[in-house]
Amino acid sequence: MAVNVTRTRINVPGGVLAFGWLLVVLLPVYYVVLTSLRSMEGFYSSNPLLPPAEPTVDNYGRVLEDDFLRYLLNSVVVTLGTVAITVTVSLMAAYYVVRNGGRLAGLTYKAFLLGLAIPLQATIIPVYYLITRAHLYDTLLAIILPSAAFAIPLTVIILANFLRDVPGELFESMRLDGAGHWRMLFSLVLPLVRPAVVTVAVYDGLQVWNGFLYPLILTQSPDQRVLPLALWSFQGQFQVDIPAVLAAVVLSTLPVLALYIVGRRQLVSGLTAGFGR
Amino acid sequence: MTLGKRRTALLSTGLAALLTLVASCGSSGPGSAGGASAWALTGGDEQTLRTSFENWNADHSGSRINAEFFANDAYKQKIRTAIGAGDAPTLIFGWGGGTLQQWVDADKVMDLSGQINDNPALADRFLPSVLETGKIDGKTYALPNNGMQPVILYYNKELFDRVGVEPPETWDDLMALVPKFKQQNIAPLSIGGQSKWPQLMWEEYLVDRIGGPEVFNAIAEGEPGAWSHPAILEANRKIQQLVDAGGFVKGFNSIASDSAADSALLYTGKAAMMLMGSWAYPTIKDSAPEFIAEDKLGYTTFPVVEGGKGDPDNIVGNPSNFWSVSAGAGEQEKQAALSYLKDGMMNDSYVDNLLSGGSVPPVKGIEDKLAGAENPDYLSFVYNMAAEAPNFQLSWDQALTPRQGEALLNNLDQLFTKQITPEQFSANMNKTIGQQ
Amino acid sequence: MAVPALLFFGVFALVPLVGVVLLSFVSWDGISGMSWAGLVNWFNVLGDSMTYQALWLSVQVMVLSWLVQTPISMLLGVFIAARGRYRALLGVLYFLPMLLSSAAIAIAFKALLDPNFGMSLAFGIEAFAQDWLGDRDLALYVVIFVIAWQFVPFHTLLYQAGVRQIPASLYEAAEIDGAGRVRQFFHITLPQLRYTIITSSTLMLVGSLTYFDLVYVLTEGGPGNATRILPLDMYLTGFRANNMGAASVLAVLLVGTGLALALGLSRLSSFRRGSQLEGA
Repeated sequence: MAVNVTRTRINVPGGVLAFGWLLVVLLPVYYVVLTSLRSMEGFYSSNPLLPPAEPTVDNYGRVLEDDFLRYLLNSVVVTLGTVAITVTVSLMAAYYVVRNGGRLAGLTYKAFLLGLAIPLQATIIPVYYLITRAHLYDTLLAIILPSAAFAIPLTVIILANFLRDVPGELFESMRLDGAGHWRMLFSLVLPLVRPAVVTVAVYDGLQVWNGFLYPLILTQSPDQRVLPLALWSFQGQFQVDIPAVLAAVVLSTLPVLALYIVGRRQLVSGLTAGFGR
Repeated sequence: MTLGKRRTALLSTGLAALLTLVASCGSSGPGSAGGASAWALTGGDEQTLRTSFENWNADHSGSRINAEFFANDAYKQKIRTAIGAGDAPTLIFGWGGGTLQQWVDADKVMDLSGQINDNPALADRFLPSVLETGKIDGKTYALPNNGMQPVILYYNKELFDRVGVEPPETWDDLMALVPKFKQQNIAPLSIGGQSKWPQLMWEEYLVDRIGGPEVFNAIAEGEPGAWSHPAILEANRKIQQLVDAGGFVKGFNSIASDSAADSALLYTGKAAMMLMGSWAYPTIKDSAPEFIAEDKLGYTTFPVVEGGKGDPDNIVGNPSNFWSVSAGAGEQEKQAALSYLKDGMMNDSYVDNLLSGGSVPPVKGIEDKLAGAENPDYLSFVYNMAAEAPNFQLSWDQALTPRQGEALLNNLDQLFTKQITPEQFSANMNKTIGQQ
Repeated sequence: MAVPALLFFGVFALVPLVGVVLLSFVSWDGISGMSWAGLVNWFNVLGDSMTYQALWLSVQVMVLSWLVQTPISMLLGVFIAARGRYRALLGVLYFLPMLLSSAAIAIAFKALLDPNFGMSLAFGIEAFAQDWLGDRDLALYVVIFVIAWQFVPFHTLLYQAGVRQIPASLYEAAEIDGAGRVRQFFHITLPQLRYTIITSSTLMLVGSLTYFDLVYVLTEGGPGNATRILPLDMYLTGFRANNMGAASVLAVLLVGTGLALALGLSRLSSFRRGSQLEGA
C-alpha cells in the first residue's frame, strides 16, 4: 500500500473533473428522490429540479401496497439461492483444481477460463428452451439455475487463485493426521479463504440482484417477479404516475444501500472481485 | 480453535441453499396449483374486468379465477412465451386476427363452437360482425370481453378555442392547423411513438381514406407486391409531410403509449390532438376526471382525404378484445373459465360498468342503456361509429402474423423517423409477404 | 469434487452454446414445433441490412464507451487514490451508481430526459430541453452517456486500486529530479497502470457487446432503429417477432464477435489473463 504522500499541492484539473463528475452522478439521484416525493399535480406543474412545495410519501405507500415486499422477498430468495449454490460448488471445484495437480484438473481450469468469454445474452434462447422442457418456466428456480451456472467460472477462478496461496504443508500435515478431502475442505480451506468467499459472494450476489434478462424471459407471473422486473412492470402499471415509479426505484435500491453503508469495504472489494490488483 | 464455527457457517450456507430450492419449487407455476387464471391489460377497461373477477370469485369459491393485469407491450411478449412454454393462463386475452390464427394452428386454444351449440346464449348476445373476429375457418375460438375500440381523433377543446380554430374535417384542414398551434407553442399532435403501434393508426386510416379497404385486403391475402399500392405510397408521403411540418409533439419517438404519457400531453394542454383507440377515454377519465367533467375533451372522426376512394365512415381499430380458453389448461380450470364466460362476463352489471367507464360493449340491444349512461354523447358517438361503419378494419399488426406485424411496426417507425422513404418502406414490406 | 460445478456449467452454459448453433438451422416460432431450415436463417439474417446496422451500432457503442470511460475513470481513480477525508467521501458518492440495477437506472434517466415532463422544464434552460431520446442522431450518444454513468464508478475503482499499488518511492525519486506533476503522470503513473488499463479495457470492450437491459428499458432500440444494438436485435427478433431461428443466428454472431474480441485483445497486448486474475 504505497501512497504518494509527497503530493500536497492542490490538483486543480483533477478537482474540477472530480466535482464535475460528482454533479453528473448526483443529478439523476437527486431528481429521482425529489420526484418520488411529489404529488401528481406537483409533478406536472412545478420545476422538476426544485424541492416540492408539499412533499408527500404517499407514493411510497402506493408502491408498498402493490406487492413490493413480495418482489423484494423473491429477489432475496433468488440472490441467496444463487450465491449459496455458486459458492458451494465453486469452492469444491477450486479445491479440486488446486489440490489435484493432474491433467484433468488443468483442463477443468481451462474450461472455466473459457467460460468467462461466453456472453450470457447469447444463450438465452436455448436456456429458455431447456427451462420450459424441464417444466421450470415461471419459477424462481428457473432464474437461480442458469444464473448460478454463469457465475461459476469466475467464482472458481478467483477461489482457486486464493487456494494456491495456501501452503502445501498445511494440507500435508492434515493428510498425515488422516483427514479426508471433505474434512480438509471444511476445517482448513474454508477458514483460510473466508475473505475471498465473502468477496465472490458479494460480487455474484449483486449480479443476480440486479439481473434483468433471465427474469424477463424465464418468469411471467407477479408471484415470481423479482425487483428489477417489478420496476419495469410498475412503469406500465402506474402509467403516468412517474412519482410512484420513481418511489419504487428508490425502494428497490434501499436494501443494497443499507448493505453498502454497513459493509462498504466488503461490498467494494466484492464489486471488483478478481479484477482489482 | 474456531473450526467448529466455520463448519457451522458452511453447513448453514448449504442448508440455506437447500431451503431455497425447496421453497422455490414449492411455489412453482401458476397453472399447476393455483386454479384458473386470466391475463388482461392495464388501462382501458381494466376496472370493469377487475370488478367482474372479484365478484365472480366472491360468489364462486369453487371455481375462482386469478386475474393478472399487464401493460400492453409487456403482455404481448409475455403471452407468446407463456403459450410457447405450455404455461398459458386459462383465459387468454387477445385481438383475433393473425395471432389467434397462430394459436389455433398450434392447437393452443379451445374450439368453443361445441359450447356455443349447447349454450347459444353464450354467443347470441354479441353483434355478429364483432363475433366474426373471434372465428377461424367458421369455428369460434374467442369471445368479446370488453368495449368496441374504433380509433378516434381526440382533441383538447380548450386549446382549439384559445387558438380559435375548428377540428379538422379534411387532411388539408389538419395540415393547416399544424402551424397555427405551433405558433402558440402547442404541439399539434400527441403520439406515443416509442410504442410504435400508435403510428400504425395513422397509416391504417390514411390508406383506407385514400385507397379503401381493398388495399389492405390484398396484403392480408398475400398478393405479391401488395405493399407497393399507390395508396400506400401516397399515405406514407403524407405521413412524412406531417412529420416534416412538425405535426407531432417534440420527442414523440421517446414517448411510450404504455405509460399513457401521450394522453397526459393532451389533458395537460401540451398537445392539441391525439389519434387513439377509444380506450383513451376511460384512461383519461381515470387519470384526469376533471378534464372530462369540464367537457374539455373533444372527439371526431379521422379527416377525409380529398379525392380518396375510401368511405369516410370506415373505421379502424379493434372490434373488441377477446377471451380464448387455453387448450393446455386442466379440466377443472377449463370448466371454471367456461362458466365464467357464460355467467360472469357481459352480464348486466358488467355492461353497466363498461358503459359508465366510457366503453361500448359489442352487445345487441343496449340503445336504452346508452341513453341512460353517464356520458351518453360519447357512448352514442362510439356506438354509431361502429354500428354504421361499412368497414371496421382490425389493426394490421394484429391481422397479420406476429413476424409480419413486427416488421410492419419497425418499418413504419423508420418511416416516421425518416430513416427510409415511402418507396423503401414498400420494398421492405413486400419481402414479408408470404412469410409465416 | 469439480463435478457439480462442471455439471451446472455444462448444462446451462456449454449445452446452450451448442444449442444456439443448432437452433440457427431450425425454424421455430416459439409456439409450435421446430422444423429443419438448413441455411435459410443464415441467408435471411446475413441478407438483412438491419444485421449490419445492429453490428455497427454495437461497434460504435463499444469504441465510444471506451473512449469516454477510460480517461474519466483513470483520472478519477488517480484523484481519489490519494488519501484525504473529503476524497473518501467523494468515493462513497461516486460508487452509488454501482448499487443500482440497469432497470432502475434506465427508468430514472427516462423520466429525467422526458422531453415534456422531465428536466427540460427546469429553469427554462434551453440546453436541457433537447429531444434526448427521440432524436435519432442524439439517442445513441445519450445511451453511451448513460452507460458511462453506470460503469465509470467500477472502472474508477479499478484504477484507484491500481494507483495505490504504485510504489511511492518512484514519485519521491521523480520529485528529487524536479519532474512536474504532468511529467510524473505520463512517466510514472501511466506506465505503472498498464495492467490495470488492459484489464479495464478488456472488461469494457467485451462487456459492451452485452449491454441489453439498459438499452431495452431506456429506448427499446428506438427511435427507429437508432439504438438497436446486436443483443437487442437478437432479443426482439426472437421474443417479439417470434423468429427463434434468426435470433439464434444473431446469437452465434454475438458469441463469435465476443470470442474474437477476447482472443484479439489477449494477442494484441500479450495479455496474461491468468496472472491478471491471480492478482485478485
